[in-house]
Amino acid sequence: MDLHCEMIMDEYRESLPELERLKEQVLNTLREALDRYGLAVTTIEARVKTEQSLAGKLALKGAKYATLSDVTDLVGARIVTFYTDDVDRIAAMTEQLFEIDWTNSVDKRMLHQLDSFGYNSLHYICLVPGYKFRFELQLRTTLQHAWAAINHDTGYKSGIEIPRIYMRRMNRLAGLLELADDEFSRIRSEITDYRRKVHQLVQNGKLDDVLLDGDTFRSYLKAEPFERLNKRIAAINQAEIQEAPLIRYLRVLVALDCKTLGDVSRLIRKYEEDAYRLARYQLGNTDLDIISSAVGLQNICIVCILSTGGGKIGLERMFDAINGHNTQNTALAELTYEQASNLPFMQNNK
Amino acid sequence: MTTTIQENGNQLIALFNGRLDTAAAIPTAEAVKPLLDAANCEIVLDCSQLEYISSSGLRIFLSIRKEAAAHGSKVIVRNINADIRQVFMMTGFISLFEIQ
Repeated sequence: MDLHCEMIMDEYRESLPELERLKEQVLNTLREALDRYGLAVTTIEARVKTEQSLAGKLALKGAKYATLSDVTDLVGARIVTFYTDDVDRIAAMTEQLFEIDWTNSVDKRMLHQLDSFGYNSLHYICLVPGYKFRFELQLRTTLQHAWAAINHDTGYKSGIEIPRIYMRRMNRLAGLLELADDEFSRIRSEITDYRRKVHQLVQNGKLDDVLLDGDTFRSYLKAEPFERLNKRIAAINQAEIQEAPLIRYLRVLVALDCKTLGDVSRLIRKYEEDAYRLARYQLGNTDLDIISSAVGLQNICIVCILSTGGGKIGLERMFDAINGHNTQNTALAELTYEQASNLPFMQNNK
Repeated sequence: MTTTIQENGNQLIALFNGRLDTAAAIPTAEAVKPLLDAANCEIVLDCSQLEYISSSGLRIFLSIRKEAAAHGSKVIVRNINADIRQVFMMTGFISLFEIQ
């Protein structure tokens, strides 16, 4: 190493505390901003360039750097995203957070020819007020990161070093992953559109047009379709109502042949009164003054199962669906069946 | 009514013995306090010796569940007798707890 490079190395050693501070500030600023913008990422990390790495860089192209501050990646940060469009969102966020050194920043995604594939990543060189050193921020997707990491693992530092046959195979994979990244983004976008459309249909009461699935059921639950029944049940003992997750009942509703939200709505109307009577029979002679918000739907399902001839086995399957398969569910089904046997809807079924 | 808490690796086991009625609720709530701060563990509410549970008892179980969720822990209710199982069903609490 020549004297010029030795001087840069000395400056590096003296500057290590400042570089560490810069790294921490960059990490904190990025984390806070991601949180504020509601952007979920797989990884956010930062490092200060090691002495060994800097020495290697200077040995290769030391003449390029007049002073230490000409090295733009002394502090390096990396954000790895789930989706390719999040790379652009975080890039826009970064432009708001830091001053960008556009001359040295590079979007490697744009460097490829129409017929070539390879390393894809967005590199921003950024400035933070109060620091004389810049830092490099790399933005890429999880799939781009996987490709880059494996490519790096081959041991070839540049595309020129790697034998052509392997370069072709690596680049084929880069093309494949680019396609997968685009497809993941498209799926996310379509799911968002689907949820919006479902929400609209639910709001407009067009429940027969909405197929029953996890998304649509959640959207339907926002309208609190069991609230009236739960309040009636709570009034039996002036009970308080504790919120409980109802998504577990989706499997039960599907098993009860509900195909659309319209079917669920009709199920509620049809069995609501008997579900209330079942609760009144069970709770009326107790002093239990706390219930969960699942009790209304639970009783509707019980009444439906028994009214349609599902019997004890049907009840046991319901308890298995909401509470996992358990030997105790047999006894629970028998107990519920016995209680319900005293109610008019069961008398009518006999 | 007695409540004993045992530690078993990543598990905290609360053994309830007797009738968890309104009168027993205050000392029981005090006894289960160590469970409320437990983070990232499995909390087992062992009811094999529990004869009866009132609304006050259900509220204690509920507070354990809420704190456990906030601290990344999981609650399992184990070995409930037929009467308590009936209470859990009638109140819809079977949808709130994993019962084994």
